Amino acid sequence: MTYTGEWLLPGELGHAAVLLSFFTALLGVISFGAQTRGIQGGRTLSWQGLGRWAFGLHALAVVSIGIVLFVIIYQHRYEYHYAWSHASRALPTHYIISAFWEGQEGSFLLWMFWNVVLGLSLIRTAGRWEAPVMVFVSLAQLMLSSMLLGLYVGDIKIGSSPFVLLRETMQAPIFQQTDYLKFITDGNGLNPLLQNPWMVIHPPVLFLGFASTLVPFAYAMGGLATRQYGEWVRPALPWTLFATAMLGTGIVMGAAWAYESLNFGGYWAWDPVENASLIPWLCLVGGLHLMHAWEKRKQSLPSATILIIFSYLLVLYATFLTRSGILGDSSVHAFTDLGMSGQLLVFLFAFVLSAAILLALSWKRLPRQPQEEPLWSREFWLFMGSLVMALGAFQVLFSTSIPVWNQIFGTNLAPPADVVAYYNRWQLPFAVLILLLGTLAHLLPYKGRPSLPLKKWLLFLIVPSLLLTAGIAVPLQYTNWTYILLLASSLLAILGHVGLLWQQRKKWLRSGGAVAHIGFALMMVGVLISASRREVVSVNRSGYAYGGQFDEKQNRENVLLWKGEALDMPPYRVTYLGDSVSEPNHYYKVQYEERNKNGDVVDRFVLLPNAQINPKMGLIATPDTRHYTFSDLYTHVTQVMDKEATGGGKEWGPPEPLLLSGSGDTVMVRDGLLIFEGITTELPGDLTTQLQDAEVKVAAQVTWKAMKETYQLRPVYAIRNGVEFRFDDVREEAGINLSFRRIHPDKKQIELAASVAAPEPRDYIIMKALRFPMINLLWLGAVLTTLGLSMAVVVRHCEKNGPPSIAFSKNDDKG
Amino acid sequence: MSKVHLFLLLLIAVAAGVILSTVDESSSYEDFATAEAYPGKEFHVVGTLHNPSEMEYNPLKDPNLFRFFLKDQKGAVRQVVYHDSKPQDFERSEQVVIIGKMSGSAFEASKILTKCPSKYNEDSIEVAPNTRTSLRMLKSVAQYPFLERTL
Repeated sequence: MTYTGEWLLPGELGHAAVLLSFFTALLGVISFGAQTRGIQGGRTLSWQGLGRWAFGLHALAVVSIGIVLFVIIYQHRYEYHYAWSHASRALPTHYIISAFWEGQEGSFLLWMFWNVVLGLSLIRTAGRWEAPVMVFVSLAQLMLSSMLLGLYVGDIKIGSSPFVLLRETMQAPIFQQTDYLKFITDGNGLNPLLQNPWMVIHPPVLFLGFASTLVPFAYAMGGLATRQYGEWVRPALPWTLFATAMLGTGIVMGAAWAYESLNFGGYWAWDPVENASLIPWLCLVGGLHLMHAWEKRKQSLPSATILIIFSYLLVLYATFLTRSGILGDSSVHAFTDLGMSGQLLVFLFAFVLSAAILLALSWKRLPRQPQEEPLWSREFWLFMGSLVMALGAFQVLFSTSIPVWNQIFGTNLAPPADVVAYYNRWQLPFAVLILLLGTLAHLLPYKGRPSLPLKKWLLFLIVPSLLLTAGIAVPLQYTNWTYILLLASSLLAILGHVGLLWQQRKKWLRSGGAVAHIGFALMMVGVLISASRREVVSVNRSGYAYGGQFDEKQNRENVLLWKGEALDMPPYRVTYLGDSVSEPNHYYKVQYEERNKNGDVVDRFVLLPNAQINPKMGLIATPDTRHYTFSDLYTHVTQVMDKEATGGGKEWGPPEPLLLSGSGDTVMVRDGLLIFEGITTELPGDLTTQLQDAEVKVAAQVTWKAMKETYQLRPVYAIRNGVEFRFDDVREEAGINLSFRRIHPDKKQIELAASVAAPEPRDYIIMKALRFPMINLLWLGAVLTTLGLSMAVVVRHCEKNGPPSIAFSKNDDKG
Repeated sequence: MSKVHLFLLLLIAVAAGVILSTVDESSSYEDFATAEAYPGKEFHVVGTLHNPSEMEYNPLKDPNLFRFFLKDQKGAVRQVVYHDSKPQDFERSEQVVIIGKMSGSAFEASKILTKCPSKYNEDSIEVAPNTRTSLRMLKSVAQYPFLERTL
């Protein structure tokens, strides 16, 4: 069977490019591997050169796959399953880009693309580390490109190709026709939840974060493989900082996305998918600090190596969790299962096993410091703090993995009923410890000091931060000790690091660490205040009896707003003004008026929470937020009046028979007068021609005087070949449907039937309004953290190759 | 290395605490019978919507009250009360997970998770002369009242 209208060339090119990318990655593994093992090629063959060629070709192949896939989606070639299931004609261009990475295949491709960019820059800059590092980059690319193969070996499917045709994936009678494509005019479209500007920028950043954790991992593994146990740390440092910044930014962007445009009323819900990206970040940060301890004091190398290796393995584990479908019920936003969990496990175990083997073989030889770190030294507290971070990561990991434990042990555990409270109970103390240990470590010098300058610290640090804590905690009415501790330790961290910044003000570029720590502490303050003092503005004050069965402390966060009717939600008076439609979004105008004590309006603004009323998914609400400096007012609709059901297609009441005998007969129909003027054979519209050969054709002349307007109605009655025909006069705008039922010649009467539309229901919305105080501290802190990390990337990159400016560097690098 | 060892021991203790607390505080997927046996304790109950016509949500009366009947996997049916607005697309879910506790004869849910047949990608093809376009055509026909005929 040959089909017409299909454009098969790009698919074939795409398949070829996938195969090319797979085999060039394999060749890359082999040649860089041989180079690393020191195997000599012949006189003409350089393994390193071959590896570079292979990776160059690989890069070309990956970029080609991307271009072909994009062309297919952009051209709306719905013969391809990927285009059909992720795009539609109504999608604007920027969401076509999002459609590209909505599916698993596209997001693997995005990941591969970043790996290629990182790999190419490693080839340029890694110098003698090129081969050992590129082995692992190529290995990762081999695994990732296998995810796109879409080949069957026996019954086992390897990978899922983005170039599969629609007719190959689905069984439908339509495919019996050779010209089936004519009937497939539109795609399934991008999930409306993802039609959001954040979906354009968040995935690239997050995947760059995931991809960049590969580089420190590859350095660590390369260091183990080539027995350069400590030497990998220096060149890997800027990469580790970069990965920390990118992954962190990706996570915060996800939080901002959730906050700005999803409707769960917050930025972090401890959802398994969120956790899955947080765990590797925590590990990476721990590893980053221990790498510094090794760089400066030759301490903690085994722990640093382990944490860096774990952070990438945890990225792979996160991939497995989110893409294998194992999270099932426990997450709101996992990918749909493509039946590749087996392959994902192979990917994970390949890396776990190679890491375990390399670590086991070299464990005894990893350099360790014979004597213990002094107690009051930076390196000791760096070590402590990093292990606490790792422990925090372990707590999130263990709890998030509940569905995995169920699979392995056949248990039937469910996540804790109140997930947020559960995680907070553990993570708040961890955050306090990390803030305190981080500050302590930064205040102490490397090599240590005999005792603490307690007097100075008390005077400039501890007492001021405790006073500040009291100044903030009292007005916030904190009674929870964990909150007070978190606040105090954050403020201590801020003051401590501001002090450090002041001391280093002449070498400001080198204070990236202090800036990042201030940022992190600010984030913690923002999280604490915005979450603990989140306030429901839209408290429902209309009391209803629930039969006394339920206690009164239920959350009553939704309120009903009638159109045009103001409702007091202190300090605001809120009015729903009406909606406007700009397909596919319906915007609901909600006006807020803030009054002072005298009742004068001091502030008035309109928020436009919107909703898509999607035929496939129901109402998808997007909040609108008023940003103040010190708080945010967040509003979203939870229910709206279904105008399709009540307004668009009118609901007609039952027809009411009306017997009329002569002109001038008048009856009352709803709120108007219906006056019968008489019968005519002059038919309205083109009915005269249509009913040429009818035996009987008459129209009733009726005037309907409604409240505002008068309508002339002409229902028609005809008999053709002995069969009755009726042509009703339907006036949607007037809300009347008049039908000419029959003629009663015996009574000299005609019978009409009027049905009237149900009265327009009053418009309303159900909405929720929340206030998040001090949330801007969270975003400010995130920006500062990224800024500080970026400063550190610059500094570390500059000293990576040149001689380090730190004094004790004699035995560092042999090369 | 004594203080590091001491610290490591402490870490192991906390890690053990993490594991124990996860097991201890994790809820479990149960049925209504268990939830009734331990009133006040929170469980996850998996089931299907029973008798959709008895579902009750009237936002005009109380936007924070949603009641429906759920049939658990063993076939027991209980009323579920949820003090929030009705989750979107609730009727279409093929499976419902409710998290909460028994309170009297009803189950008081604090959270509802719905599982739709397949989240968004319905594996059915809409071809051009499809039901939706033909519906749209019907509507445009209705604009011309005189063409509507009743036999």
